Amino acid sequence: MRLLFLLLSLTLAGAALAQQGPGPMPEDPVKALQHRQAAQPGNNNEAWREVRSGDPKYTTTTVRGRETEVAIQSWGDTWRRIRNGPMMFYGGWLLVLVIAAILGLYMWKGPVKLHEPLSGRKMRRFTAFEMTVHWTTAISFCLLGISGLIMFFGKNVLLPVMGYTLFALLTQLSKNLHNFIAPLFIVSVAVMVIIWLRDNVLRSYDWQWFRRAWAFFLRSEHIPSGRFNGGEKAWFWGGVLLLSIIMSTSGLVLLFPNFDQTRWTMQHAWIWHVTAALLYIAAAFGHIYMGTIGVENTYGNMRHGYCDETWAKEHHEIWYREVKSGRREPAGGAVPAGAPHMKEDA
Amino acid sequence: MARMKFLCDAERCIECNGCVTACKNENEVPWGVNRRRVITLNDGVVGAEKSISVACMHCSDAPCMAVCPVDCFYRTDDGVVLHDKDLCIGCGYCFYACPFGAPQFPQAGAFGLRGKMDKCTFCAGGPEPDRSEAEFKKYGRNRLAEGKLPACAEMCSTKALLGGDGDVIADIYRERVLRRGRGSEVWGWSTAYGLPPKPGAQPPAPQQPATSGKS
Repeated sequence: MRLLFLLLSLTLAGAALAQQGPGPMPEDPVKALQHRQAAQPGNNNEAWREVRSGDPKYTTTTVRGRETEVAIQSWGDTWRRIRNGPMMFYGGWLLVLVIAAILGLYMWKGPVKLHEPLSGRKMRRFTAFEMTVHWTTAISFCLLGISGLIMFFGKNVLLPVMGYTLFALLTQLSKNLHNFIAPLFIVSVAVMVIIWLRDNVLRSYDWQWFRRAWAFFLRSEHIPSGRFNGGEKAWFWGGVLLLSIIMSTSGLVLLFPNFDQTRWTMQHAWIWHVTAALLYIAAAFGHIYMGTIGVENTYGNMRHGYCDETWAKEHHEIWYREVKSGRREPAGGAVPAGAPHMKEDA
Repeated sequence: MARMKFLCDAERCIECNGCVTACKNENEVPWGVNRRRVITLNDGVVGAEKSISVACMHCSDAPCMAVCPVDCFYRTDDGVVLHDKDLCIGCGYCFYACPFGAPQFPQAGAFGLRGKMDKCTFCAGGPEPDRSEAEFKKYGRNRLAEGKLPACAEMCSTKALLGGDGDVIADIYRERVLRRGRGSEVWGWSTAYGLPPKPGAQPPAPQQPATSGKS
Protein backbone atom coordinates (compact mmCIF):
# COMPACT_ATOMS: atom_id res chain seq x y z
CA MET A 1 0.00 0.00 0.00
CA ARG A 2 2.76 2.40 0.96
CA LEU A 3 4.65 1.47 -2.17
CA LEU A 4 1.61 2.12 -4.29
CA PHE A 5 1.14 5.56 -2.70
CA LEU A 6 4.77 6.41 -3.34
CA LEU A 7 4.48 5.39 -6.97
CA LEU A 8 1.30 7.37 -7.42
CA SER A 9 2.71 10.51 -5.86
CA LEU A 10 5.86 10.24 -7.98
CA THR A 11 3.77 9.97 -11.14
CA LEU A 12 1.70 12.99 -10.12
CA ALA A 13 4.79 15.00 -9.26
CA GLY A 14 6.29 14.06 -12.59
CA ALA A 15 3.16 15.24 -14.35
CA ALA A 16 3.24 18.48 -12.37
CA LEU A 17 6.89 19.03 -13.25
CA ALA A 18 6.12 18.43 -16.91
CA GLN A 19 3.39 21.09 -16.65
CA GLN A 20 5.85 23.64 -15.30
CA GLY A 21 8.44 23.15 -18.06
CA PRO A 22 8.33 24.83 -21.48
CA GLY A 23 6.25 22.05 -23.04
CA PRO A 24 5.08 22.11 -26.66
CA MET A 25 4.30 25.49 -28.26
CA PRO A 26 0.54 26.12 -28.57
CA GLU A 27 -0.68 26.50 -32.13
CA ASP A 28 -2.83 29.58 -31.54
CA PRO A 29 -0.54 32.58 -32.22
CA VAL A 30 -1.89 34.59 -29.29
CA LYS A 31 -1.45 31.68 -26.85
CA ALA A 32 2.01 31.04 -28.30
CA LEU A 33 2.92 34.64 -27.60
CA GLN A 34 1.74 34.44 -23.98
CA HIS A 35 3.55 31.16 -23.61
CA ARG A 36 6.78 32.67 -24.86
CA GLN A 37 6.43 35.72 -22.65
CA ALA A 38 5.96 33.47 -19.61
CA ALA A 39 8.87 31.21 -20.52
CA GLN A 40 11.30 33.96 -21.58
CA PRO A 41 10.15 37.32 -20.16
CA GLY A 42 13.10 39.24 -21.61
CA ASN A 43 12.76 37.92 -25.17
CA ASN A 44 10.74 40.30 -27.33
CA ASN A 45 12.29 39.19 -30.61
CA GLU A 46 9.07 37.79 -31.97
CA ALA A 47 7.14 40.96 -31.19
CA TRP A 48 9.70 43.19 -32.90
CA ARG A 49 9.89 40.89 -35.90
CA GLU A 50 6.16 41.46 -36.27
CA VAL A 51 6.71 45.20 -36.23
CA ARG A 52 9.41 44.98 -38.88
CA SER A 53 7.22 42.84 -41.11
CA GLY A 54 4.83 45.77 -41.51
CA ASP A 55 1.96 43.32 -41.11
CA PRO A 56 -0.66 45.22 -39.13
CA LYS A 57 -2.40 42.03 -38.01
CA TYR A 58 -1.39 42.35 -34.37
CA THR A 59 -1.16 46.11 -34.07
CA THR A 60 -3.76 48.75 -33.26
CA THR A 61 -3.81 52.49 -32.84
CA THR A 62 -6.34 55.10 -31.87
CA VAL A 63 -5.17 57.41 -34.65
CA ARG A 64 -7.55 57.03 -37.58
CA GLY A 65 -6.21 56.78 -41.10
CA ARG A 66 -4.71 54.50 -43.69
CA GLU A 67 -1.81 52.31 -42.46
CA THR A 68 -1.52 54.28 -39.19
CA GLU A 69 -1.21 50.92 -37.38
CA VAL A 70 1.93 50.02 -39.37
CA ALA A 71 4.96 50.86 -37.23
CA ILE A 72 7.70 50.30 -39.82
CA GLN A 73 7.13 49.96 -43.57
CA SER A 74 10.56 48.86 -44.74
CA TRP A 75 9.84 48.75 -48.48
CA GLY A 76 9.95 52.54 -48.71
CA ASP A 77 13.70 52.53 -48.32
CA THR A 78 13.97 49.73 -50.90
CA TRP A 79 11.89 51.87 -53.26
CA ARG A 80 14.19 54.81 -52.60
CA ARG A 81 17.27 52.72 -53.43
CA ILE A 82 15.72 51.36 -56.65
CA ARG A 83 14.63 54.87 -57.70
CA ASN A 84 17.84 56.71 -56.88
CA GLY A 85 20.03 53.79 -57.94
CA PRO A 86 19.48 51.62 -61.02
CA MET A 87 16.45 53.49 -62.38
CA MET A 88 18.17 56.87 -62.37
CA PHE A 89 21.49 55.42 -63.61
CA TYR A 90 20.27 53.13 -66.40
CA GLY A 91 17.31 55.37 -67.24
CA GLY A 92 19.54 58.40 -67.66
CA TRP A 93 22.06 56.51 -69.79
CA LEU A 94 19.29 54.96 -71.88
CA LEU A 95 18.00 58.39 -72.90
CA VAL A 96 21.47 59.82 -73.49
CA LEU A 97 22.59 56.83 -75.58
CA VAL A 98 19.41 56.79 -77.67
CA ILE A 99 19.85 60.48 -78.47
CA ALA A 100 23.52 59.86 -79.26
CA ALA A 101 22.66 56.91 -81.54
CA ILE A 102 20.07 58.95 -83.43
CA LEU A 103 22.45 61.88 -83.75
CA GLY A 104 25.20 59.53 -84.92
CA LEU A 105 22.95 57.96 -87.54
CA TYR A 106 21.90 61.37 -88.81
CA MET A 107 25.46 62.67 -89.01
CA TRP A 108 26.75 59.48 -90.61
CA LYS A 109 24.06 58.56 -93.12
CA GLY A 110 21.74 61.56 -93.12
CA PRO A 111 17.99 61.20 -93.70
CA VAL A 112 16.48 58.32 -95.64
CA LYS A 113 16.04 59.77 -99.14
CA LEU A 114 13.62 59.14 -101.99
CA HIS A 115 15.08 57.50 -105.09
CA GLU A 116 12.82 59.25 -107.61
CA PRO A 117 11.82 62.92 -107.78
CA LEU A 118 8.52 63.99 -106.22
CA SER A 119 5.62 63.45 -108.57
CA GLY A 120 3.76 66.54 -107.42
CA ARG A 121 0.56 64.45 -107.15
CA LYS A 122 -0.78 64.28 -103.59
CA MET A 123 -2.52 61.39 -101.88
CA ARG A 124 -4.71 61.68 -98.80
CA ARG A 125 -2.81 59.89 -96.03
CA PHE A 126 -4.50 61.01 -92.78
CA THR A 127 -7.97 62.43 -92.15
CA ALA A 128 -8.50 65.60 -90.14
CA PHE A 129 -9.84 63.45 -87.31
CA GLU A 130 -6.78 61.21 -87.32
CA MET A 131 -4.48 64.24 -87.30
CA THR A 132 -6.37 65.82 -84.41
CA VAL A 133 -6.15 62.60 -82.39
CA HIS A 134 -2.47 62.17 -83.25
CA TRP A 135 -1.48 65.70 -82.27
CA THR A 136 -3.55 65.66 -79.09
CA THR A 137 -1.70 62.50 -78.08
CA ALA A 138 1.65 63.81 -79.27
CA ILE A 139 1.47 67.20 -77.54
CA SER A 140 0.13 65.74 -74.30
CA PHE A 141 2.84 63.03 -74.47
CA CYS A 142 5.58 65.66 -74.80
CA LEU A 143 4.21 67.72 -71.92
CA LEU A 144 3.90 64.61 -69.72
CA GLY A 145 7.37 63.45 -70.73
CA ILE A 146 9.10 66.77 -70.13
CA SER A 147 7.33 67.39 -66.80
CA GLY A 148 8.09 63.81 -65.74
CA LEU A 149 11.76 64.16 -66.62
CA ILE A 150 11.94 67.41 -64.64
CA MET A 151 10.51 65.63 -61.59
CA PHE A 152 12.86 62.64 -62.01
CA PHE A 153 16.19 64.08 -63.14
CA GLY A 154 15.67 67.80 -62.38
CA LYS A 155 17.16 67.65 -58.89
CA ASN A 156 20.50 66.54 -60.35
CA VAL A 157 20.40 68.42 -63.64
CA LEU A 158 18.39 71.65 -63.33
CA LEU A 159 18.47 72.45 -59.60
CA PRO A 160 22.20 73.24 -59.47
CA VAL A 161 21.71 75.65 -62.40
CA MET A 162 18.39 77.26 -61.48
CA GLY A 163 18.50 77.48 -57.71
CA TYR A 164 15.91 76.29 -55.21
CA THR A 165 13.12 78.85 -55.58
CA LEU A 166 12.89 78.83 -59.36
CA PHE A 167 13.29 75.07 -59.62
CA ALA A 168 10.55 74.48 -57.02
CA LEU A 169 8.22 76.72 -59.06
CA LEU A 170 9.04 74.84 -62.26
CA THR A 171 8.56 71.45 -60.58
CA GLN A 172 5.28 72.55 -59.01
CA LEU A 173 4.10 73.57 -62.48
CA SER A 174 5.34 70.25 -63.87
CA LYS A 175 3.47 68.27 -61.24
CA ASN A 176 0.21 70.12 -61.90
CA LEU A 177 0.59 69.83 -65.68
CA HIS A 178 1.38 66.12 -65.31
CA ASN A 179 -1.71 65.53 -63.17
CA PHE A 180 -4.16 67.47 -65.33
CA ILE A 181 -2.91 66.48 -68.81
CA ALA A 182 -2.75 62.77 -67.97
CA PRO A 183 -6.53 62.15 -68.40
CA LEU A 184 -6.45 63.87 -71.82
CA PHE A 185 -3.57 61.61 -72.88
CA ILE A 186 -5.38 58.47 -71.72
CA VAL A 187 -8.52 59.37 -73.68
CA SER A 188 -6.69 60.37 -76.88
CA VAL A 189 -4.51 57.25 -76.80
CA ALA A 190 -7.62 55.10 -76.41
CA VAL A 191 -9.22 56.77 -79.44
CA MET A 192 -5.99 56.41 -81.43
CA VAL A 193 -5.78 52.70 -80.68
CA ILE A 194 -9.35 52.23 -81.90
CA ILE A 195 -9.00 54.16 -85.17
CA TRP A 196 -5.65 52.60 -86.14
CA LEU A 197 -6.15 49.10 -84.81
CA ARG A 198 -7.14 47.57 -88.16
CA ASP A 199 -4.29 49.08 -90.15
CA ASN A 200 -1.79 47.83 -87.58
CA VAL A 201 -2.68 44.15 -87.76
CA LEU A 202 0.58 42.31 -88.52
CA ARG A 203 0.80 40.87 -92.05
CA SER A 204 3.25 38.37 -93.47
CA TYR A 205 5.05 41.09 -95.46
CA ASP A 206 5.87 42.98 -92.24
CA TRP A 207 8.55 40.40 -91.37
CA GLN A 208 10.40 41.56 -94.45
CA TRP A 209 10.55 45.05 -92.92
CA PHE A 210 12.08 43.76 -89.68
CA ARG A 211 14.61 41.64 -91.60
CA ARG A 212 15.64 44.54 -93.85
CA ALA A 213 15.29 47.42 -91.33
CA TRP A 214 19.08 47.90 -91.16
CA ALA A 215 19.21 48.32 -94.93
CA PHE A 216 16.35 50.82 -94.78
CA PHE A 217 18.26 53.00 -92.31
CA LEU A 218 21.73 52.57 -93.77
CA ARG A 219 21.00 52.30 -97.51
CA SER A 220 17.58 53.95 -97.82
CA GLU A 221 16.36 50.60 -99.17
CA HIS A 222 12.77 50.34 -100.35
CA ILE A 223 10.70 47.78 -98.40
CA PRO A 224 7.06 47.26 -99.48
CA SER A 225 4.60 47.97 -96.65
CA GLY A 226 0.93 48.43 -95.99
CA ARG A 227 -0.50 51.69 -94.67
CA PHE A 228 1.83 51.31 -91.70
CA ASN A 229 5.20 49.60 -91.93
CA GLY A 230 6.72 47.07 -89.55
CA GLY A 231 8.43 49.70 -87.42
CA GLU A 232 5.24 51.71 -87.08
CA LYS A 233 3.34 48.57 -86.13
CA ALA A 234 5.93 47.71 -83.47
CA TRP A 235 5.58 51.25 -82.11
CA PHE A 236 1.80 50.85 -82.16
CA TRP A 237 1.62 47.52 -80.29
CA GLY A 238 4.61 47.91 -77.99
CA GLY A 239 4.44 51.64 -77.36
CA VAL A 240 1.04 53.11 -78.01
CA LEU A 241 -0.85 50.09 -76.71
CA LEU A 242 1.26 48.13 -74.19
CA LEU A 243 3.26 50.97 -72.61
CA SER A 244 0.17 53.22 -72.53
CA ILE A 245 -1.77 50.55 -70.65
CA ILE A 246 1.06 50.17 -68.10
CA MET A 247 1.49 53.94 -67.78
CA SER A 248 -2.22 54.73 -67.50
CA THR A 249 -2.98 52.01 -64.98
CA SER A 250 -0.04 52.80 -62.72
CA GLY A 251 -0.54 56.52 -63.29
CA LEU A 252 -4.16 56.40 -62.12
CA VAL A 253 -3.07 54.54 -58.97
CA LEU A 254 -0.67 57.40 -58.24
CA LEU A 255 -2.96 60.19 -59.42
CA PHE A 256 -5.84 59.33 -57.11
CA PRO A 257 -4.38 58.39 -53.73
CA ASN A 258 -7.82 58.63 -52.14
CA PHE A 259 -8.89 55.01 -52.68
CA ASP A 260 -7.13 53.59 -49.63
CA GLN A 261 -4.32 52.04 -51.65
CA THR A 262 -1.33 51.22 -49.47
CA ARG A 263 2.17 52.63 -49.73
CA TRP A 264 3.35 49.26 -51.09
CA THR A 265 0.91 49.57 -53.99
CA MET A 266 2.01 53.11 -54.77
CA GLN A 267 5.73 52.29 -54.53
CA HIS A 268 5.26 49.47 -57.03
CA ALA A 269 2.99 51.52 -59.28
CA TRP A 270 5.68 54.21 -59.32
CA ILE A 271 8.37 51.74 -60.43
CA TRP A 272 6.15 50.42 -63.25
CA HIS A 273 5.16 53.95 -64.23
CA VAL A 274 8.68 55.35 -64.49
CA THR A 275 10.27 52.25 -66.04
CA ALA A 276 7.60 52.27 -68.75
CA ALA A 277 7.97 56.04 -69.12
CA LEU A 278 11.72 55.85 -69.73
CA LEU A 279 11.24 53.16 -72.38
CA TYR A 280 8.36 55.13 -73.90
CA ILE A 281 10.40 58.34 -74.09
CA ALA A 282 13.38 56.51 -75.59
CA ALA A 283 11.13 54.92 -78.24
CA ALA A 284 9.40 58.24 -78.87
CA PHE A 285 12.77 59.82 -79.71
CA GLY A 286 13.00 57.31 -82.53
CA HIS A 287 9.44 57.96 -83.67
CA ILE A 288 9.89 61.74 -83.62
CA TYR A 289 13.17 61.46 -85.52
CA MET A 290 11.61 59.28 -88.24
CA GLY A 291 8.58 61.52 -88.53
CA THR A 292 10.55 64.77 -88.85
CA ILE A 293 14.13 64.84 -90.12
CA GLY A 294 14.86 61.11 -90.34
CA VAL A 295 12.92 60.34 -93.51
CA GLU A 296 12.56 62.88 -96.30
CA ASN A 297 9.12 64.30 -97.09
CA THR A 298 7.46 62.55 -94.11
CA TYR A 299 6.61 65.33 -91.65
CA GLY A 300 4.05 66.92 -93.99
CA ASN A 301 1.94 63.74 -93.95
CA MET A 302 0.84 64.23 -90.38
CA ARG A 303 1.06 68.02 -90.55
CA HIS A 304 -1.22 68.46 -93.59
CA GLY A 305 -2.65 64.98 -94.14
CA TYR A 306 -1.23 64.45 -97.65
CA CYS A 307 1.77 62.58 -98.99
CA ASP A 308 3.39 62.64 -102.40
CA GLU A 309 2.71 59.65 -104.67
CA THR A 310 6.44 58.98 -105.01
CA TRP A 311 6.78 58.89 -101.25
CA ALA A 312 3.83 56.50 -100.99
CA LYS A 313 5.20 54.21 -103.70
CA GLU A 314 8.64 54.03 -102.11
CA HIS A 315 7.67 53.67 -98.46
CA HIS A 316 4.20 52.12 -98.42
CA GLU A 317 3.95 50.37 -101.76
CA ILE A 318 1.23 47.88 -100.81
CA TRP A 319 -0.96 50.65 -99.41
CA TYR A 320 -0.23 52.76 -102.54
CA ARG A 321 -1.37 49.95 -104.86
CA GLU A 322 -4.49 49.27 -102.78
CA VAL A 323 -5.53 52.92 -102.94
CA LYS A 324 -4.66 53.30 -106.63
CA SER A 325 -6.60 50.18 -107.57
CA GLY A 326 -9.59 51.45 -105.59
CA ARG A 327 -9.56 48.48 -103.22
CA ARG A 328 -9.58 50.82 -100.20
CA GLU A 329 -10.45 54.37 -99.19
CA PRO A 330 -7.47 56.73 -99.33
CA ALA A 331 -7.31 57.30 -95.58
CA GLY A 332 -8.92 55.29 -92.82
CA GLY A 333 -12.48 54.04 -92.80
CA ALA A 334 -13.11 55.03 -89.20
CA VAL A 335 -14.14 58.59 -89.99
CA PRO A 336 -17.81 59.56 -90.02
CA ALA A 337 -19.20 60.19 -93.48
CA GLY A 338 -19.29 63.86 -94.36
CA ALA A 339 -16.01 64.71 -92.67
CA PRO A 340 -14.20 67.48 -94.56
CA HIS A 341 -11.65 65.30 -96.31
CA MET A 342 -14.30 63.15 -97.95
CA LYS A 343 -15.63 66.13 -99.88
CA GLU A 344 -12.13 67.15 -100.94
CA ASP A 345 -11.21 63.73 -102.20
CA ALA A 346 -14.47 62.97 -103.95
CA MET B 1 26.65 69.78 -30.98
CA ALA B 2 24.17 67.26 -29.69
CA ARG B 3 22.60 64.73 -32.06
CA MET B 4 18.89 64.86 -31.30
CA LYS B 5 17.03 61.54 -31.23
CA PHE B 6 13.75 60.06 -30.05
CA LEU B 7 13.63 56.88 -28.00
CA CYS B 8 10.47 55.05 -26.97
CA ASP B 9 10.67 52.56 -24.10
CA ALA B 10 8.09 49.88 -24.90
CA GLU B 11 8.34 48.51 -21.33
CA ARG B 12 7.03 51.82 -19.99
CA CYS B 13 4.57 53.14 -22.57
CA ILE B 14 1.01 52.85 -21.24
CA GLU B 15 -0.75 53.98 -24.42
CA CYS B 16 -2.16 57.13 -22.83
CA ASN B 17 -1.73 59.12 -26.07
CA GLY B 18 -0.50 62.10 -24.04
CA CYS B 19 2.32 62.63 -26.57
CA VAL B 20 -0.16 62.73 -29.47
CA THR B 21 -2.29 65.31 -27.69
CA ALA B 22 0.70 67.36 -26.54
CA CYS B 23 2.01 67.52 -30.10
CA LYS B 24 -1.31 68.53 -31.61
CA ASN B 25 -1.84 71.20 -29.00
CA GLU B 26 1.68 72.62 -28.97
CA ASN B 27 2.05 72.83 -32.74
CA GLU B 28 -1.58 73.49 -33.72
CA VAL B 29 -1.27 70.73 -36.30
CA PRO B 30 -3.72 70.89 -39.25
CA TRP B 31 -6.89 68.82 -39.02
CA GLY B 32 -6.41 65.25 -40.23
CA VAL B 33 -2.65 65.26 -39.62
CA ASN B 34 -1.11 63.42 -36.67
CA ARG B 35 2.58 64.06 -36.38
CA ARG B 36 2.80 61.44 -33.65
CA ARG B 37 0.78 58.28 -33.02
CA VAL B 38 0.81 55.47 -30.49
CA ILE B 39 0.79 51.91 -31.82
CA THR B 40 -0.12 48.93 -29.65
CA LEU B 41 1.08 45.42 -30.40
CA ASN B 42 -0.99 42.41 -29.40
CA ASP B 43 -3.67 44.60 -27.89
CA GLY B 44 -5.44 42.78 -25.05
CA VAL B 45 -3.05 39.81 -24.88
CA VAL B 46 -2.05 39.63 -21.23
CA GLY B 47 1.70 39.69 -20.87
CA ALA B 48 2.41 40.33 -24.53
CA GLU B 49 0.94 43.82 -25.02
CA LYS B 50 3.44 46.52 -25.90
CA SER B 51 2.92 50.11 -26.98
CA ILE B 52 5.24 52.46 -28.80
CA SER B 53 4.96 56.09 -29.80
CA VAL B 54 5.94 56.75 -33.43
CA ALA B 55 6.81 59.97 -35.25
CA CYS B 56 9.58 61.24 -37.49
CA MET B 57 12.80 59.69 -36.15
CA HIS B 58 15.04 62.32 -37.81
CA CYS B 59 17.04 59.59 -39.54
CA SER B 60 20.77 59.83 -40.17
CA ASP B 61 20.31 58.78 -43.81
CA ALA B 62 16.77 60.03 -44.30
CA PRO B 63 14.89 58.36 -47.19
CA CYS B 64 12.52 61.35 -47.46
CA MET B 65 15.46 63.66 -48.04
CA ALA B 66 16.93 61.29 -50.66
CA VAL B 67 13.81 61.09 -52.82
CA CYS B 68 12.47 64.67 -52.60
CA PRO B 69 12.44 65.93 -56.22
CA VAL B 70 12.91 69.56 -55.16
CA ASP B 71 15.39 68.84 -52.33
CA CYS B 72 13.27 70.71 -49.78
CA PHE B 73 14.65 68.81 -46.76
CA TYR B 74 17.62 69.89 -44.70
CA ARG B 75 19.34 68.72 -41.54
CA THR B 76 20.06 71.15 -38.72
CA ASP B 77 23.27 71.21 -36.68
CA ASP B 78 21.39 69.14 -34.07
CA GLY B 79 20.66 66.37 -36.60
CA VAL B 80 16.97 67.33 -36.84
CA VAL B 81 15.44 66.70 -40.30
CA LEU B 82 13.34 69.71 -41.33
CA HIS B 83 11.72 70.79 -44.58
CA ASP B 84 10.78 73.96 -46.42
CA LYS B 85 7.05 74.15 -47.16
CA ASP B 86 7.62 76.98 -49.64
CA LEU B 87 9.56 74.56 -51.86
CA CYS B 88 7.38 71.46 -51.26
CA ILE B 89 5.27 70.54 -54.32
CA GLY B 90 3.10 67.89 -52.61
CA CYS B 91 4.23 64.96 -54.76
CA GLY B 92 4.09 62.43 -51.91
CA TYR B 93 7.47 60.77 -52.54
CA CYS B 94 8.64 61.36 -48.95
CA PHE B 95 5.46 59.61 -47.83
CA TYR B 96 6.30 56.61 -50.05
CA ALA B 97 9.86 56.44 -48.76
CA CYS B 98 9.49 57.00 -45.00
CA PRO B 99 9.50 53.73 -42.99
CA PHE B 100 7.72 55.39 -40.03
CA GLY B 101 4.81 56.98 -41.90
CA ALA B 102 5.87 60.42 -40.69
CA PRO B 103 5.19 62.67 -43.72
CA GLN B 104 1.52 63.45 -44.14
CA PHE B 105 -0.46 65.67 -46.46
CA PRO B 106 -3.49 67.80 -45.72
CA GLN B 107 -5.88 67.33 -48.62
CA ALA B 108 -5.72 70.44 -50.81
CA GLY B 109 -8.53 69.76 -53.26
CA ALA B 110 -10.76 67.14 -54.80
CA PHE B 111 -9.55 63.64 -55.77
CA GLY B 112 -6.93 63.41 -53.02
CA LEU B 113 -4.83 66.33 -54.31
CA ARG B 114 -2.04 66.79 -51.79
CA GLY B 115 -1.16 70.03 -50.05
CA LYS B 116 2.20 70.88 -48.48
CA MET B 117 3.73 68.02 -46.55
CA ASP B 118 3.58 68.22 -42.75
CA LYS B 119 5.63 66.17 -40.32
CA CYS B 120 7.21 66.20 -36.87
CA THR B 121 9.85 68.93 -36.57
CA PHE B 122 11.30 67.75 -33.24
CA CYS B 123 9.64 71.02 -32.11
CA ALA B 124 12.31 72.88 -34.06
CA GLY B 125 10.19 74.87 -36.53
CA GLY B 126 11.38 75.47 -40.07
CA PRO B 127 13.60 77.70 -42.22
CA GLU B 128 11.82 80.94 -41.21
CA PRO B 129 13.40 83.12 -38.48
CA ASP B 130 13.24 81.34 -35.08
CA ARG B 131 10.00 81.90 -33.13
CA SER B 132 8.50 84.07 -35.88
CA GLU B 133 4.78 84.12 -36.62
CA ALA B 134 5.36 82.67 -40.11
CA GLU B 135 7.38 79.79 -38.68
CA PHE B 136 4.69 78.95 -36.12
CA LYS B 137 1.92 79.00 -38.73
CA LYS B 138 3.73 76.61 -41.09
CA TYR B 139 5.63 74.32 -38.75
CA GLY B 140 4.41 74.87 -35.19
CA ARG B 141 6.34 75.82 -32.09
CA ASN B 142 10.13 76.13 -32.14
CA ARG B 143 10.78 74.85 -28.63
CA LEU B 144 14.42 74.06 -29.35
CA ALA B 145 15.00 77.78 -29.99
CA GLU B 146 13.40 78.43 -26.59
CA GLY B 147 15.84 76.00 -24.96
CA LYS B 148 13.20 73.31 -24.45
CA LEU B 149 12.84 69.74 -25.68
CA PRO B 150 9.93 68.37 -27.80
CA ALA B 151 6.53 68.71 -26.12
CA CYS B 152 5.62 65.02 -26.61
CA ALA B 153 8.64 63.73 -24.66
CA GLU B 154 8.38 66.43 -22.00
CA MET B 155 4.71 65.57 -21.47
CA CYS B 156 5.18 61.78 -21.26
CA SER B 157 3.77 60.66 -17.90
CA THR B 158 5.86 57.49 -17.57
CA LYS B 159 8.93 58.93 -19.30
CA ALA B 160 8.65 56.16 -21.87
CA LEU B 161 9.22 58.64 -24.67
CA LEU B 162 12.58 60.35 -24.46
CA GLY B 163 13.68 63.10 -26.83
CA GLY B 164 17.02 64.88 -26.74
CA ASP B 165 20.74 64.34 -27.11
CA GLY B 166 21.13 60.77 -28.39
CA ASP B 167 24.04 60.02 -26.02
CA VAL B 168 22.15 61.24 -22.94
CA ILE B 169 18.93 59.34 -23.65
CA ALA B 170 20.89 56.20 -24.58
CA ASP B 171 22.61 56.38 -21.16
CA ILE B 172 19.25 56.76 -19.38
CA TYR B 173 17.90 53.80 -21.31
CA ARG B 174 20.95 51.63 -20.61
CA GLU B 175 20.56 52.29 -16.90
CA ARG B 176 16.90 51.24 -17.06
CA VAL B 177 17.69 48.04 -18.94
CA LEU B 178 20.39 47.11 -16.42
CA ARG B 179 18.06 47.67 -13.48
CA ARG B 180 15.09 45.77 -14.83
CA GLY B 181 17.10 43.13 -16.70
CA ARG B 182 14.92 43.07 -19.83
CA GLY B 183 13.42 45.18 -22.62
CA SER B 184 16.67 46.24 -24.24
CA GLU B 185 15.27 46.83 -27.74
CA VAL B 186 15.81 50.43 -28.76
CA TRP B 187 12.80 50.49 -31.02
CA GLY B 188 13.38 51.86 -34.54
CA TRP B 189 16.97 52.94 -33.92
CA SER B 190 18.56 50.52 -36.36
CA THR B 191 16.12 51.71 -39.04
CA ALA B 192 16.60 55.39 -38.29
CA TYR B 193 20.22 55.68 -37.22
CA GLY B 194 21.76 52.61 -38.86
CA LEU B 195 22.85 49.40 -37.19
CA PRO B 196 24.83 49.80 -33.97
CA PRO B 197 28.58 49.46 -34.56
CA LYS B 198 29.92 45.96 -34.01
CA PRO B 199 32.16 45.44 -30.97
CA GLY B 200 35.77 46.13 -31.86
CA ALA B 201 34.83 48.05 -34.99
CA GLN B 202 36.43 51.37 -35.85
CA PRO B 203 34.65 54.44 -34.50
CA PRO B 204 32.39 56.01 -37.12
CA ALA B 205 33.95 58.65 -39.34
CA PRO B 206 33.10 62.23 -38.37
CA GLN B 207 29.86 63.37 -39.99
CA GLN B 208 29.88 65.82 -42.86
CA PRO B 209 29.20 69.41 -41.88
CA ALA B 210 25.42 69.79 -41.67
CA THR B 211 23.67 72.04 -44.11
CA SER B 212 21.46 74.77 -42.76
CA GLY B 213 18.42 76.45 -44.31
CA LYS B 214 18.13 77.12 -48.04
CA SER B 215 16.68 80.05 -49.84
